[in-house]
Amino acid sequence: MKKVLSLVLALVLCFSLVACNGTNTDDEKFLVGAIYINGQNDTAGYTYAHHSGITKAMEQLGMDKSQLKIVDNVAEDDAAVTQAIDTLASQGCKLIIGISFGYLNAMQDAAEKEQYKDIIFSHATGYLSNETNFNNYFGRIYQARYLAGIAAGMKSLELNNNNIGYVAAYGTEYAETCSGINGFALGVQSVNPNAKVYVSKINNWADEAKERQIAENLIDNYNCGVIAQHCDSAQPQIAAQEKNAFGCGYNSDMTAQAPKAHLTAPVWNWDVYYKLAIETAMNTPSEFMSKVGIYYGGLKEGFVDIAPLTDNCAEGTKTVVDAVKAMMINGEWDVFTNVKLSIDKDGNITKTEGALLDNEGHEVISADGNTYYVHNDAGALEAVEGGKSAQDGVIKGSMDYYVAGVEEING
Amino acid sequence: MQSTNKEPLIRIVKRTGLKKRYAALLYLASVIIALGIGAILLLSLKANPAEYYKQMFTLGTINNKFAYLQYENYIKEFVPLLITSLALSLAFKMKFWNIGGEGQFILGALAGATVAFLVPSTLNPLLTMILMIFAGALVGGLIGLLTSVLNVKFGTDETLFTLMFNYIALYILTYFGETKAGWNIFLKTDSERPQFAKIPENARMIKIPLGDFSLEISFVFVILLVAFIFIYLTKTKHGYEISVVGDSINTAKYSGMKVDKIICRTMFLSAALIGAAGAIRTSSVQSLSTSITNDVGWTGIIVAWLAKLNPIGIVIVTALISILQCGCITASVSANNVDSHFADLLQGVILFIILAADFFIRFKIVIRKSSKKASTQKEVNV
Repeated sequence: MKKVLSLVLALVLCFSLVACNGTNTDDEKFLVGAIYINGQNDTAGYTYAHHSGITKAMEQLGMDKSQLKIVDNVAEDDAAVTQAIDTLASQGCKLIIGISFGYLNAMQDAAEKEQYKDIIFSHATGYLSNETNFNNYFGRIYQARYLAGIAAGMKSLELNNNNIGYVAAYGTEYAETCSGINGFALGVQSVNPNAKVYVSKINNWADEAKERQIAENLIDNYNCGVIAQHCDSAQPQIAAQEKNAFGCGYNSDMTAQAPKAHLTAPVWNWDVYYKLAIETAMNTPSEFMSKVGIYYGGLKEGFVDIAPLTDNCAEGTKTVVDAVKAMMINGEWDVFTNVKLSIDKDGNITKTEGALLDNEGHEVISADGNTYYVHNDAGALEAVEGGKSAQDGVIKGSMDYYVAGVEEING
Repeated sequence: MQSTNKEPLIRIVKRTGLKKRYAALLYLASVIIALGIGAILLLSLKANPAEYYKQMFTLGTINNKFAYLQYENYIKEFVPLLITSLALSLAFKMKFWNIGGEGQFILGALAGATVAFLVPSTLNPLLTMILMIFAGALVGGLIGLLTSVLNVKFGTDETLFTLMFNYIALYILTYFGETKAGWNIFLKTDSERPQFAKIPENARMIKIPLGDFSLEISFVFVILLVAFIFIYLTKTKHGYEISVVGDSINTAKYSGMKVDKIICRTMFLSAALIGAAGAIRTSSVQSLSTSITNDVGWTGIIVAWLAKLNPIGIVIVTALISILQCGCITASVSANNVDSHFADLLQGVILFIILAADFFIRFKIVIRKSSKKASTQKEVNV
């Protein structure tokens, strides 16, 4: 009895000593709240990309690390997200960022609450918003994919191999994945019209073993000379290197992981958006929706880009890529339009107008560029008027087809 | 069989005659040891343990203008866990191993959501909620009944059966959550990606406003339930039958009890309550999700055992574990570098040490001294 009592007392004593440390409060400072789907201490992947973007933006704005409050590993569950929001609001966060699609219900509800009207909610990859304090944001990664497609297409010409592989998380189920595949395929076709893009799915956003396995299958059984990817890890690039093939990574520059195979990678610069969002929310919160609003940045904003072209690229790739990139930046041309680019061996770019067809031969963009088609609930293609805004279906999520030249295979 | 004259080197023997005060002190010591280990880990992460624990045990409600929301979230976690733990204790008391709380909860939630989406949106909210709870209880209960009927008729293993049903239930829910189709009433219609929709207005939990704070009426329900279970177990014939079956099926049979009927009835009640908890959770959260259970089916097992299957004990343990769960989120936010994995780890450390203490309070390890001094203490099968 006495032993236990003395043990308890000793521990209480240790404890109270620890408790003597002072606590510092950060009143007055602008606090950013973030809700992550994975861990804040991840070293790669989706959450890592966002976390790096937020911290980089805060550094650029001269903010302290303690001004970022994080709830991580939050499932796409309304109760869990609401609890995370309430906790961040309690801590005094004035901008709350949610990075996963399934957070949308809870974020919309929170933005509408009277007590949260002076808090700004910013939701990645979603489609909901309000007029005062709730926006969504995403990027035109398909523009960067097109550029990577050019690099891959030119490599295929050099290799004299028209087969290109694409390791995809999903296919037509998500606009995010199929718009990336289509953007890439159109880029490939601009330099090599005979090329074929073989898509093989993982049916998961990240699965390293399967990513490798599928890349190997594409190289061994479909004779692909270049491997592109929409998945988290660098496994497809590593597999390409091992089998003397080439590849385009994704999310971050994967040259370090596969120096002999990597050509370039479409990359996200999340810090570009986060800098704008945090700066606006901090200095002029009432103008957040007019200054930032619903944000779909592309190459022009520097929100998406491609990693520096490596020496593995075919000769002359840089000139062509830079020229097409400039066309997208100055608004002269964009990927999902009725104008097709054809680039010859000398790097001359010609534009031809014509309808864009899906891989079943249906028109998905009319020859005059004014009509876009989307599948309705019954699965039939339905015309949507409205040019540019219909084109944004790529980001808003209505694209659900492959363009001609893409073939999905079973992994 | 081991020979009777050779005593095993290490034996686990039931501890007898331990004073309650002494036991309570041991529990307290175990919590303090766990927190001490946590403090060392926190210091290694350059976080301030005192601040961390302050946030954790107060749910971050000090100097917080939104403190009432933290209490509301607390109640949201507390109610489903309490119902599930109570329900599990009914089956455990009978030594019937219902580890299918997750699955019964999910199917109850799905049944509740089905009612929510199908009844006319003009239906009275209280009536809608009652219908939802009834549907959840019915579906959960039928699964429980199926398990117990198969057990008493064909001797199927209820542990395996309920365990595997958890996965079946989860995959059914995932299927509804990922299949975009005209018939799928559970999804948002305006979303290109499949996404669970919010349930209609009249199916959402009724709240009693108390200033800024609003109390979900499920809290009132759960308090009544505690009283009911307490009386059911201690004052009724059913309760008596459950404890006799738990002690010895043969004794129950000898005294003329219909053991099969008792098992089926109790298991129906246990699973029905868990199903009802699922429906209540749906109404409270206002939408489905594949993580809707918040692991109550698993945590409930720990709660039930820590509380020695005593209803009042279950209320206390649930209250404490909910503080741990809600508080860990708040605390990890207030400390930089501390992620939710650490919060989970700390919860695990605390629970593990308490369970270890619990073990040593109930049992002691006897190491063989000499064969002559054979102990007369009762040996316990563990």
